[in-house]
Amino acid sequence: MASPKTLPKDAQVMVQILKDMGINEYEPRVINQMLEFTYRYVTTIIEDAKIYATHAKKSSVDADDIRLAIQCRMDQSFTSPPPRDFLLEVARQKNQTPLPLIKPYTGPRLPPDRYCLTAPNYRLKSLQKKVTTSAGRITVPRLSVGAVSSRPTTPTLGTPSVQSVTTKVSTPVSLTGQRFTVQIPSSQAASAKSATPSTPTVQNVLINQSLIGSKNILITTNMVSQNSASDSSSLKRKHEEDDDYDAL
Amino acid sequence: MAAVQDAPVEADNEKEIKTETLNDAAGNHASAAGGVIPSPPVASTSSSGPAKAGGPGSEEQQTLMAVLQFLKKNNFVGAVDVLRREAGILEDSDESQGQELAASALGGAEAGDATCTLSRASSCTTSTPAVAAAPAKGARCAVVCVSAGGEDQPDVNVVLSAYSQQGDPALYQGYYSGLKKFVESVLDCHRAELSQLFYPLFVHMYLELVYNNHETEAKAFFEKFSGDQECYYQDDLRVLSGLTKKEHMKGNETLLDFRTSKFVLRISRDSYQLLKRHLQERQNNQIWNIIQEHLYIDIFDGMPRSKSQIDSMSGSLAGEAKREANKAKVFYGLLKEPEIDVPLDDEDEEGENEEGKPKKKKPKKDSMGSKSKKQDPNAPQQNRIPLPELKDSDKLDKIMYMKEATKRIRLGPESLPSICFYTFLNAYQGLTAVDFTDDSSLIAGGFADSTVRVWSVTPKKLRSVKSAADLNLIDKESDDVLERIMDEKSASESKILYGHSGPVYGVSFSPDRNYLLSCSEDGTVRLWSLQTFTCLVGYKGHNYPVWDTQFSPYGYYFISGGHDRVARLWATDHYQPLRMFAGHLADITCTQFHPNSNYVATGSADRTVRLWDILNGNCVRIFTGHKGPIHSLAFSPNGKYLASGATDGRVLLWDIGHGLMIGELKGHTDTVYSLKFSRDGEILASGSMDNTVRLWDSIKAFDDIETDDFTAATGHIHLPENSQELLLGTYMTKSTPVIHLHFTRRNLLLAAGAYNP
Repeated sequence: MASPKTLPKDAQVMVQILKDMGINEYEPRVINQMLEFTYRYVTTIIEDAKIYATHAKKSSVDADDIRLAIQCRMDQSFTSPPPRDFLLEVARQKNQTPLPLIKPYTGPRLPPDRYCLTAPNYRLKSLQKKVTTSAGRITVPRLSVGAVSSRPTTPTLGTPSVQSVTTKVSTPVSLTGQRFTVQIPSSQAASAKSATPSTPTVQNVLINQSLIGSKNILITTNMVSQNSASDSSSLKRKHEEDDDYDAL
Repeated sequence: MAAVQDAPVEADNEKEIKTETLNDAAGNHASAAGGVIPSPPVASTSSSGPAKAGGPGSEEQQTLMAVLQFLKKNNFVGAVDVLRREAGILEDSDESQGQELAASALGGAEAGDATCTLSRASSCTTSTPAVAAAPAKGARCAVVCVSAGGEDQPDVNVVLSAYSQQGDPALYQGYYSGLKKFVESVLDCHRAELSQLFYPLFVHMYLELVYNNHETEAKAFFEKFSGDQECYYQDDLRVLSGLTKKEHMKGNETLLDFRTSKFVLRISRDSYQLLKRHLQERQNNQIWNIIQEHLYIDIFDGMPRSKSQIDSMSGSLAGEAKREANKAKVFYGLLKEPEIDVPLDDEDEEGENEEGKPKKKKPKKDSMGSKSKKQDPNAPQQNRIPLPELKDSDKLDKIMYMKEATKRIRLGPESLPSICFYTFLNAYQGLTAVDFTDDSSLIAGGFADSTVRVWSVTPKKLRSVKSAADLNLIDKESDDVLERIMDEKSASESKILYGHSGPVYGVSFSPDRNYLLSCSEDGTVRLWSLQTFTCLVGYKGHNYPVWDTQFSPYGYYFISGGHDRVARLWATDHYQPLRMFAGHLADITCTQFHPNSNYVATGSADRTVRLWDILNGNCVRIFTGHKGPIHSLAFSPNGKYLASGATDGRVLLWDIGHGLMIGELKGHTDTVYSLKFSRDGEILASGSMDNTVRLWDSIKAFDDIETDDFTAATGHIHLPENSQELLLGTYMTKSTPVIHLHFTRRNLLLAAGAYNP
């Protein structure tokens, strides 16, 4: 440690303060840290006081401003624990309720999931373009004959609900050269919970020529991407169930 | 004018005091005009006094008195009469009976409330000429207290503040020196007791000067008299020396509590009489006012205590403990162990065959449990607090425990335990907490870099459970399913647990080795699973650093104590605490469960140890005597005794049933950070910052108790100076403070610390 003669005056004062408070052994860097803190604290207070002084339209900062600045800072950064009588009162109230009975063995005894840190903190992002990640969806193919675009792939987003089926087979029109869109919505989504609008993913499947003869029928499957919806709905369900266990 | 303060401060209904004050009252009022005997200072009000003696209305009465005072001061005679008529106050018993109000208020109210009411009352009495003139009016018995020198007229604000001006600040030095001279002049036997007054009086007078903005007088007062105080108060005095303005007091909760709570002194009747007589003879008895306002004098009959006796019990921030505080019944016995049938089949027989012994039946079914069928009167009921029932794995654990217990070494002065020291290297002074599991298979360390690390002590590595996908694939019906769920790829010697955002100050394993608790400076207590080595729950309740946490011996409950001066009892499946134990004046530094899980001990920086009842949150014991913040607590295995270690290097032994100190173990030169009793309670091991582990003979220490009626009644203790005889061994480490001690089930002593060159 540098001899007191070469220390700056602030540091000497700090050494003296530490000695007065009875701290005799400390690393040399403690003084630097204390000085840093002092500098930062004092500048913060003075800046706050300047603001209060200008707010009160005073020409210079005076002791009242400083006092106010200190008080506000103390309530904000250097909070102290609640006073004793408040604690006693709160404790008295809390201690009046009897200890809750322990349910027989129900697995790990943890608070409701909402208060635990056991939930996954990630979510799988669903791909909306191509792949469907659901399995076991019942798809009811519906046929609709309508104007088709010439482009083979047309993901039709933004059609939330199932298209109405229009089968206009009025006249045996010669359909050669026409393409038909068959929409096969996945009715799995019909489970009523999902409130989220399903973004249909349309898959265009070229049907074997031989099945339909000369017609080119473009079958589009209205795959509702409901991965996130069903997942979140199931998660939501789980949360709601857990709320029932909220004893307190 | 008689300066009368005849109502002593005691709030308990002691008959002797009652008669005494009645006598005094009679004597004093002889000089007053138209005496009305003040009501005795007990909750049982006498008929003479006005109905304000005790009862919930006393606070409003005090306010009323203050207002009356104010009106009288300003000569609003008409208003005074009207107010008095409407409030129904008798003419001859108004605020002049200030001290009686004080006494009666005390008799009825809590200590905390009484301070405020007292101060109002006494400030009423310190008013000068206006009240002095009162006797001239009508048949009022104006018993007036003279305040030397003109004083602040007690207006309503002053009256309603916790501190009031008790006298001219310049004369405080005079009062104090006067008291000093008096104490020096009394007989030797009384001197020790009366010197107890110095410290609390000094602090309260100083704080009063500071609070009322008499800075220069405060500083002068401090300089003159701080050197006289006892050495063990030096730390407090140092803190006080930095406190020179009223604003400084605002953030300091401990000091604020000190101001509002009463400092308890225990003085024998004879010494008290001397004191009172002396203070009442003099004209100015501001000291008497201050005594009444801030001190609680617990009088006992009997011999005055010697200096050494007093020194051993004093040192805490609130004086000693009142006798009633330690009178509640504490069930310190152990709970009955459940009957478990030790299986007589394969595993045990194999073990015995290997040792070459003939097979024999194990009769030790409940050798660890209660031998007697009837209830131990000192043990709590089994269902006093709800405890989790035993799972199968718990029963297996218990069987293992019993088996290990049979192989336990009996320790004693001739057969000392071997000590195995676990040194944490490269911790760079960051090791802040250590815990062992009960079967000594795992060590956990909490560090200042906010990590918790778990090591395996045995050759068996730590494994975490497989992921959910893999778990689906294993065969659930196989016998070794518990091994199959473990992921071999994750085997390692140690695991690091990240999660806290501040240094980890306490760690605690659950008895079933499934969970680990850790508490930190960030104010949370975290529950970690030792099967997945991830954090399960963060319990938020303290908003300030939590210094210690501990699982209950039966699991499920745990306790935490921290900077907010409150200890909280939690259960693992409640996100809010179940109980809050408030009462300490400073941070709670150390927490420990009683072996029967019905009580919790907390040690604090206010130098007291308190024992709390979990069932209703009451504080059932207060142990004073340490001269520094307490850092370690240990219950004896039979539940009867408590050992505590503090920064003063002493280990104190307490008898829980009687609430007395029964032993003092001197020897360490630095803070005692860890205490542990051996498995059968024969040896107490203590580890300290002075790099040593010391072993003490606890059987001998507990043999020497004299618990005759006198001791129990008065709380006098006679500590034998036998620390040297009780010390069985001192074992030094190279340069490693001992942070934690643990006796294995076979009575091998494990110690842990971080190497600190």
